[in-house]
Amino acid sequence: MRLAPRSVRTRLTLWYAGVLTFIICAFSTGIFLFVRARLSHDLDLQLSRELATVERIYREEPRELTHLDPHWGITLFHVAEHETVLYRTDGWERGGLARALPGNRGPALWSWTSSEGRRYRVQTASGPSYEIAVAIDETSLRRTLRTLAVIMIMGIPCAVGLALAGGYVLAGRVLSPIGTMADKARKITAESLGERLPVENPEDEFGRLATVFNDTLSRLNDSFARLRRFTADASHELRTPLTAMRSVGEVALQRSLDRAAYRDVIGSMLEEVDRLTRLVESLLTLTRAESGRTQLTRKVVDLGGLASTVADSLRVLAEEKAQSLSVDAAAHVEATCDPAVLRQGLINLLDNAIKYTPDKGAIRVRVAKTALGEPAIEVKDTGPGIPAVHRERIFDRFYRVDTGRARDAGGLGLGLAITRWAVEAHGGRIELESEEGKGSLFRIVLPGSLG
Amino acid sequence: MRILVVEDDKKVARALREGLQAEHYDVRVASTGEEGFFLVNHEVFDLVLLDLMLPRRDGVEVLTTLRKRGLQTPVLILTAKDTVDDRVQGLDLGADDYLVKPFAFPELVARIRALLRRGRMDQVLKLQLDDLEMDLLTRRVTRRGLTLDLTAKEFELLEYLLRHQGRVASREMLARDVWQVAARATPLDNVIDVSIARLRRKIDDPFEKKLLHTLRGVGFMLGGKHE
Repeated sequence: MRLAPRSVRTRLTLWYAGVLTFIICAFSTGIFLFVRARLSHDLDLQLSRELATVERIYREEPRELTHLDPHWGITLFHVAEHETVLYRTDGWERGGLARALPGNRGPALWSWTSSEGRRYRVQTASGPSYEIAVAIDETSLRRTLRTLAVIMIMGIPCAVGLALAGGYVLAGRVLSPIGTMADKARKITAESLGERLPVENPEDEFGRLATVFNDTLSRLNDSFARLRRFTADASHELRTPLTAMRSVGEVALQRSLDRAAYRDVIGSMLEEVDRLTRLVESLLTLTRAESGRTQLTRKVVDLGGLASTVADSLRVLAEEKAQSLSVDAAAHVEATCDPAVLRQGLINLLDNAIKYTPDKGAIRVRVAKTALGEPAIEVKDTGPGIPAVHRERIFDRFYRVDTGRARDAGGLGLGLAITRWAVEAHGGRIELESEEGKGSLFRIVLPGSLG
Repeated sequence: MRILVVEDDKKVARALREGLQAEHYDVRVASTGEEGFFLVNHEVFDLVLLDLMLPRRDGVEVLTTLRKRGLQTPVLILTAKDTVDDRVQGLDLGADDYLVKPFAFPELVARIRALLRRGRMDQVLKLQLDDLEMDLLTRRVTRRGLTLDLTAKEFELLEYLLRHQGRVASREMLARDVWQVAARATPLDNVIDVSIARLRRKIDDPFEKKLLHTLRGVGFMLGGKHE
């Protein structure tokens, strides 16, 4: 089983220390091996120089051999002639180095360990009648190497320990902005969505994280605001008919009226019931749509035919206002859609156009393909247009450009929201072009038929 | 004609009983599924009005029992659920029609009449009210012998009103049956009002006796007693 430390800080520190330990160990081993090889090599060099000196003295001034020890510092050597010892230093004798020489001709350079455990490096040179052996005690070299090893073995854990501590502190410092962000984020609730995380450096990783988080907060804030607005609007819209019913009923009960007046009161209350019914109906349609529970029954529909049908059914309204309502449909503009849903959306658009266009105005419905070949339906009117400030929210539920007038016109404030849903449910989009005082153009663009 | 109303809401049940009695139906009310279940098992009804969400015994259960016994009594479901699935389920179980709450009373009466009449559809070629006559073959409308010039939609509208003469037609009924728009969340009401106004201009305005009446908050009625 793998043990995974929980905090990023610990994990970072351990990784750091692990890598560092590996590097230090490898480096130290390298140094140790290098130093040992270097020192051994130097020792061998010194040995061969000493052998050469002894050999030269033996050849030139054999009597001088006795001076080599005190004057030249060559303390361990042995010279033999015809198997007889000609000279050996005191050190050679004391160290019992005679035993180091093999009986027969062995290797010319080797290491030998005495019975006391001292190690010597021995080199020999021999001629036809003589044999010279020189030795150097390796003890000091070995002591140096041991000291080096001890320093390293003691030093590595210390260094790793320091690295752990340093790494832990460093990781803590690097990660501290995350802790701050988490604390801050924890304090943000639905009521304080306006708060933002501090961004110290928008370029670095933490800055980017905070920026992304802040963007999410903004979007969340927007949708909360929209929801609050919707709740407020919905309660207003629902309460208005209820209030009307209640006051009409209460006032009627306070006096005794004749039959006709009672009928009038009841009729008035039923009108409000009707309004309330349509409101609840529309809200349910939208709610169901938003929770994705509406099933579309798609088939290939000729949009020109659909637009003509819708225009014909609403034509009487345009005629009442002496408006001209024309349909200009290109042939064979087809889309795969649910005709009932799309029709509902188009009816709302056209009804709006008729409602807001003044008498004798013109409304044009155009069915054609866009430059990209997508099927589209345009509804263009000569109404007052929609000011830029309202364009973004015009499709929101209950949103009204001119509160009073729209309500007088009998609108529920849900028509465009339903249209948007009807279009988006088909994977399409709705575009709005408007010029104040000149008119508006709504364009339903549906995805091209995918076979 | 005996009608069984299975409805748990007391106010709705009372309104249904009184309204249907005024239409000269003999009405029994069951306020629980249990009671409805008992009544359909022991008595004979010409039609059952069934609320689907009932205490104790579900409306669905009452319906399935009824059909298992092989009774062909027409069943009209009243439901507050209006998703397609619920409707399909109700019709699959053997219901003959459904109405989504809140419904308009004139519409309920129209549906009941249609269900009770079912199977013996009268093939009329001429519709008539007072001195207003409609010939369905030649598609000619006359009043007091004078030919009236109606658009196709106005003709359909008048035909519907004539077929329902003496009874109220709500805007919802007109939207669904004349304009073929099922969704109620459409601004079609204005269209209906304008069309009615135009029709009135043609069939009523030139004549002294008015035939087409508006019942505020309820709908429209051709002929009949109007106060």
